[in-house]
Amino acid sequence: MKKAIYKTQLLMAAIVAVTLLFAVSAQAAAPGIIGTGATAGTFSLIAKADYLSQPDGQAVYSWGYGCTTPPPSASFVPSKLTRAGFCNTMQVPGPTLVVTENQSVTVTLTNSLPTAAGNTSILFPGFNVTTSCSAASPVGQQGLLTCEATPGGTVTYTFTASSPGTRAYYSGTQGDLQVEMGLYGAIIVLPDPAKIPGACTKPSIRTNLYGVKDWATNAGIPGAPEQDYRLAASAYDHPDTCYDREYLFQFSEMDPRIHTQAEAQVNAAGACTVGAAGCSLNVPTEPYHPAYFMINGRSMPDDMDPNYASQYPHQPYNGDPHMHPGELTLIRVIGQGRWQHPFHEHGNHVRILARDGNLILSSTPTAIAYANGGFATGLAGPLLFTTTTTPGLAFDGIFYWTAKGLNWDAYGHNAGSNDPLAALSCTPDANGYNTGNTAALNYFEWCQDHNKPLQKAPFGDVAGGGPATLPDPNLFTNGAWYGGSPYLGPNATTRATGCSTGLQANGPNGTQPGAACGQTGSTPPSGTIANPPGSEAGFAFMWHSHNEREITTNNIFPGGMLMMMLVDSREYVIDETN
Amino acid sequence: MRNRFPGRLPILLFVCLATVAASAQSFRVQCPTSTITHPGAAITAASESGSTVTIASTLSPPVGSIVSIAGVSPLGYNGSFAVVSSSESSFTYTDTVSGLGDGKGGIASNNNAEPAYNGATTYAPNAQGFMAPNAGTVNGAIKCQQISGGDGYSTMGDGTQTYMFSFGPLSGLADIASGKPGTEFPYIFNTQGPAMSPGDPATTDAPPAITSTGVASSLGAFTYNGAVGLAKNVANLVSIYDVAEDPATKTVYVQTNAPLGVNVGDTVVIAGTGTAPGNGPYDGPQTVAAINVVGTTFPATITNYGFPAPDNFTFLVSTNTALPDVNSSSTASVALPGGYDGHVDPRPIMDVGVMNGNIPAPLMAIDEDDEFFLTLTNVGMIMRPDLFEQHTVHFHGYPNASSFYDGVPDASVAINIGASFTYYYLAPDAGTYFWHCHITPPEHLQMGMVGQLYVRPRQDRVSSTVKLIDALRAQLQDLRTACKSETDILCSNPIPAVDTGLSGAATVLAGGTSGYAYNDGDGSTYYDVEYPIQIHGFDPNFHFVGMTFNPEGFSDMKDKYFLLNGRSYPDTVIPGPLYTMSTDGSNHFSQPLSAIINIPAGKKALLRISDLDVSEYQTLASLGIPMHVIGYNAKLLRDQAGNNLDYYTNSITLGGGESLDVILDACAVRATDGSCTTAVPVGTYYLYTPNLDHLSNDAENFGGLMTEVRITN
Repeated sequence: MKKAIYKTQLLMAAIVAVTLLFAVSAQAAAPGIIGTGATAGTFSLIAKADYLSQPDGQAVYSWGYGCTTPPPSASFVPSKLTRAGFCNTMQVPGPTLVVTENQSVTVTLTNSLPTAAGNTSILFPGFNVTTSCSAASPVGQQGLLTCEATPGGTVTYTFTASSPGTRAYYSGTQGDLQVEMGLYGAIIVLPDPAKIPGACTKPSIRTNLYGVKDWATNAGIPGAPEQDYRLAASAYDHPDTCYDREYLFQFSEMDPRIHTQAEAQVNAAGACTVGAAGCSLNVPTEPYHPAYFMINGRSMPDDMDPNYASQYPHQPYNGDPHMHPGELTLIRVIGQGRWQHPFHEHGNHVRILARDGNLILSSTPTAIAYANGGFATGLAGPLLFTTTTTPGLAFDGIFYWTAKGLNWDAYGHNAGSNDPLAALSCTPDANGYNTGNTAALNYFEWCQDHNKPLQKAPFGDVAGGGPATLPDPNLFTNGAWYGGSPYLGPNATTRATGCSTGLQANGPNGTQPGAACGQTGSTPPSGTIANPPGSEAGFAFMWHSHNEREITTNNIFPGGMLMMMLVDSREYVIDETN
Repeated sequence: MRNRFPGRLPILLFVCLATVAASAQSFRVQCPTSTITHPGAAITAASESGSTVTIASTLSPPVGSIVSIAGVSPLGYNGSFAVVSSSESSFTYTDTVSGLGDGKGGIASNNNAEPAYNGATTYAPNAQGFMAPNAGTVNGAIKCQQISGGDGYSTMGDGTQTYMFSFGPLSGLADIASGKPGTEFPYIFNTQGPAMSPGDPATTDAPPAITSTGVASSLGAFTYNGAVGLAKNVANLVSIYDVAEDPATKTVYVQTNAPLGVNVGDTVVIAGTGTAPGNGPYDGPQTVAAINVVGTTFPATITNYGFPAPDNFTFLVSTNTALPDVNSSSTASVALPGGYDGHVDPRPIMDVGVMNGNIPAPLMAIDEDDEFFLTLTNVGMIMRPDLFEQHTVHFHGYPNASSFYDGVPDASVAINIGASFTYYYLAPDAGTYFWHCHITPPEHLQMGMVGQLYVRPRQDRVSSTVKLIDALRAQLQDLRTACKSETDILCSNPIPAVDTGLSGAATVLAGGTSGYAYNDGDGSTYYDVEYPIQIHGFDPNFHFVGMTFNPEGFSDMKDKYFLLNGRSYPDTVIPGPLYTMSTDGSNHFSQPLSAIINIPAGKKALLRISDLDVSEYQTLASLGIPMHVIGYNAKLLRDQAGNNLDYYTNSITLGGGESLDVILDACAVRATDGSCTTAVPVGTYYLYTPNLDHLSNDAENFGGLMTEVRITN
């Protein structure tokens, strides 16, 4: 079956889709459950078959882990992002299990896969697991790698969450088929609250304090209170692992032919008896030609829809990161398929903190006195702009974005403007950022470039202002995530030109006296869609697999392992719940 | 839709060409000679005496340095010149024009070379309310480059000519042809070129008898490195009403009927003063001697109908006298040519830029503290007139990038066919980056729109009398260049844990080849020679489909050509540029960058390796000389405590979108002071891929991802 796809047509289709889906933007976090019942750390999971939705309209037969019964609302974390009842069936990836360091974890797995699929199980690499197969009264069937649940049967795994970090869990039974079919998930171990560095929670540092600022109390500044969506204040027992936001991305791919074969054989076998002739699957998993490349079980643009969106009942987790300038963003990334993917984070480097929960530290024991007051051995993980995801491997990293070094004012501040928001001040702290007033809209602005113009119009007068002059807006094509100007934040063009109607007055920076207001040479002829100039106008950065053929969905571009990360100015409230 | 009905093609072609013609002035370049960050000094007076020009300003440039003069009236003063003498209040240079009157206005600047790094830049608020650098503390210079976005052909190792979507050089043509970056200082970029032919520089450089593939034998005949197409602004043209000569003073008086905007010393072009085109007695270029002469010495034969004084001027004639008056002319005109302001003539851009694709795309190299103006000129894809494709430049890996200049069309703007867009960045932290188009990446990258880019460190500008660690400490004084583990989790080069005591030893900016990969502060990333190496792969089926208007499948993409600098072995070891004949019948330098790694015995070579393969990971192994990995993803390998995390290996593996810095040391044993006691034996060594199926050129079971390391005496 060869799908002949015409790119331009699809681009249009994608743009239309984007239009429809992103009228209200959605954000992400690292949502999960701390248990499925009343006891934290106790999970009753089920392995089951159902269909995954893909943006090409296909419903792909898959297997996934889910909850045997819907967990109570209190089981969902972060507490500001809950969807009671969402874990009532299979999902891909499986439920994210959120536990705390040293907590005793019990996972009970019920095998509700089709009988022909045979046994199933879960591996928890990185933990010392005791299974029900080794109990005094064994439950389950010992397989090659772990204790397996027979069709309809149940097994139990218990272990201590010995150290913090992000790790994968996945099927330990016929992994080439079962993991391909979707039997994988993530387990996040939060640091022991007693070990979270004080530097990460004390009020005198930048961490997340501005993120919870109630904008509504600041006259003239629109917005609602920001919420705290972190699972914890730090990723590890280390003061340089404090963070303000976090996102979990699980990379996997699907070869639809395997899924089609599996479904056909399951249907052919019907309600067969275990061990009976024909009551098994013989699905070739090679040669492997994946056509779906997914982050958290979704392909772009579906990955940018909300967490727990009702249209994806079996794919609850999204990939839609947002952050404010300067915020330390923890990314937890897991390779869940069978291929490696070079995940390229546009915008800045990522400091790798740890691999599979192992913090990477300097060999020099002398501690570093961090500016936030923490004191610890230095980090030694690499700084990467492309973070390879490897099957079975998880890493944690910290990313941030500021406008440092652009050499022009990213906000379009303009001392001569009539717009009061264009005349904000910028007082550099010891590192050059505007952090003195946590209520400032330009909090964390890079002050060395404050008021510095980006462009001087008209063309040819670069020496008069500069540095660059933009071409006539009719000469370029605008992207769906283009905020409408080179500047950051709602109505940035108005701010830069000092007016919204009429003609620009004489001003020192970037303005073009006599030109139309809002016209800096870059204003699009029409508004953009996914990043509205009037309400968001963030800086959008593509985060994607750099094996570029993987940013396609079944031969359709765009799609696959692709998301748009947005750096939002602070008047835009990042609401991860919608 | 990729499929087009053949009957529609002529219409589409027409639309395409018409678009280009109508939008001719949409092609532009930008390369200011001074900016806020790299300021010049105001010119208070300019005068000419014979061929010596004296500029009064406080610039105080060193004798021999290249100074750019911009914004002076008359225009004849503007340009770039070598300083002959210099003082605190003025400097002189020698010019080739004559008869310039006193000049006024303008800025003199000296951003045409990399100054030594003597310390951090300091800032003070200026009158416009932003921070401007203090005089004497400015670091870096201005660099400019122009590239075309379009299509072209390249030649694979088995002789197959492959169609590409591609970038080509539109500046630094001679440098690119000789394997160097096409990034130029303003004084080189802002020069108007000679007449150029399609395919240049290959057409000028290549021998008359040519095969479809090979090396130009007369490389170097083409020397122009400026911005292709750069031309003076459109001349201001006005009608002349009367012309009269005073034979006694050999002065010609010209009465125009609209403002011309001339100044004394300007060259104007007069036409139509005779009865037939070209034979007018006053026709031709003339130098303005005086302006605003009404009411003083204007001859009575000219009737002033109330035209304002600035509309009149005079010039002197030396030989002709008693020329006839021209009265109430209906044909005479005078033109004042414009200066260079970024306007271009689209004809050379189309002649040179069309079908001029390079793989890898033009090499870019900048230095920390530089401002970089990169103009992308979209000339269209001639073989695919059905596509109205934009192209962009993504500076892959730039820290704290701006989304506007990040080149992602979804997040920004993308330039249409027939127009130019200038990207602007202050150089980011030193490192090996790379760049590529970000339009439909699976397609445009596979089709060849990938290039190399590296940023040289400040440490290359540290003099031999300054300790590297002191220079790195000095960088802490400017918050923009400071890197401290204590305050920034993304700091990659804190002060080294061990002070090696080494001082600056780089020569790369003074015409030598040695330098440093990073601001290491300890000399650990020193190299004697450097080679950019880019890994890529072509799927010939995809490229064929890409040329034939058919829809392309992505998921079964399978590379069959495995490329180092756009070539597969044995082409990787051909010196000089490869050329490929294009559909226009002219040869083009399709693959200008050889992949031969020449290392003098006992010396170190830095390999700046990047991978832009779009479908799979690639491994590159070294036979004989260990690979010393010192940097990864454009960052020094060093922990927060200052310990170097470099390591030795015999192979490196990269996915698309990764880069890595490797030093190959042609010294087997080094003494503690770093000197070489036992060199690696002279001979040929290999870099090759242990992905053995990648040692092939499509159907040929030979070639692929391999090149030679040649250790020489």
